[in-house]
Amino acid sequence: MNEARQKEVPPSPEELTSLIDAVAREQDRNAFARLFGYFAPRVKSFLMRSGLADFAAEEVTQEVMIAVWRKASYFDPGKAGASTWVFTIARNQRIDRLRRTQSRTTDHLLDPSDEPDMPPSGEDITITAEREEGVRKALATLPSEQATIVRLSFFAEKPHAEIARELGIPLGTVKSRVRLALNRLRALLDNDI
Amino acid sequence: MTINHHPSDETLMRMATGTLSAGPALVVSVHIEGCAVCRNRMANFEAIGGAILDEMPPVPLAADLFGRTMERLEAAQPLQARDRPTIKHPELGLKLPRAMQDCEVGPWKWLGPGFQWSKVKIAGNPDAKVMLLKGRAGLHLPAHGHTGLEFMQILSGSLSDERGQYFPGDLDEAGDDVDHRPVVGQESDCICLAALEGDTRLHGLLGRLLRPIVGF
Repeated sequence: MNEARQKEVPPSPEELTSLIDAVAREQDRNAFARLFGYFAPRVKSFLMRSGLADFAAEEVTQEVMIAVWRKASYFDPGKAGASTWVFTIARNQRIDRLRRTQSRTTDHLLDPSDEPDMPPSGEDITITAEREEGVRKALATLPSEQATIVRLSFFAEKPHAEIARELGIPLGTVKSRVRLALNRLRALLDNDI
Repeated sequence: MTINHHPSDETLMRMATGTLSAGPALVVSVHIEGCAVCRNRMANFEAIGGAILDEMPPVPLAADLFGRTMERLEAAQPLQARDRPTIKHPELGLKLPRAMQDCEVGPWKWLGPGFQWSKVKIAGNPDAKVMLLKGRAGLHLPAHGHTGLEFMQILSGSLSDERGQYFPGDLDEAGDDVDHRPVVGQESDCICLAALEGDTRLHGLLGRLLRPIVGF
């Protein structure tokens, strides 16, 4: 029994955004500790689900959190929600790790996409919040076998063949489910200009 | 400028998940740089990644991971803006998209009458099959098919084939079901950035032409 340890309520998307902002503006360590508490166990979980062993997943998680600290001032809430931003960092760190054998690490460099061009407008922030909400709704609306395929596509390195193996279904079925899921998502998220 | 040809949903999803190989990913990045519609689609797929990260069941971390991370932060060098040597390729005769700023781009080399190529090297991925192609106005490219996906982004001029017409900003994604015979528009030379996925090979005359020189 662990009564002393209260179940911590995860921060809301708005709180996560303001925590990143506090790190960016004041290098606020308490804010970073809360970001770490929320994101690190989930990033590690995501990386392990993507095939990294425990130790490697933890190493990459550390790189991801270091990048969160260092790039905090480049976070643009008009372009992406906090979790989406951290997801893209984790994705890039994972790619970096896979390529590291042949390339220098780019850890200390900024991606072109990191560069803030203009402060985000209120409208951009609203659009981003709507997008974040929209994809969550869409994922919840997809038939479960399609939602599963979409989730697995975010983990596997060779999506189709590995997904087929994991689900024990033929490759052709995976391909048609991916297609159905993408068509459905497109209809659900059709917020094109 | 209206862009009529875009990467498929599947390609954008793979780009968002980080599973598209370096060559095609470069071509798609160049497309996204100039296409607001695909920037929006890509943002949707990345947001799905964010949603999935949120729903991951948290796993235990080494007890000292936070402490070790803080130690590394103390020691870390401040972030430096990327060195941005302006890539000067006067002989290429075009302004390269930002997405290509880390690429090493070779000089134009002869491939056939009115037909040139230039090797594009991606930092960290020297083996990616990606190149610039230039054809003179009106050139008929050799008919070819591919064993896998071919990605082609038009940078200047225009191309057409049996399936449509491609202008600057358009991206053509051709799978193994496509056999085509692109023709360069009459109005000017055409330059495009092309990549093949993985071990995709070209067949037909174009394949025979490219393989010994380019290694495709």
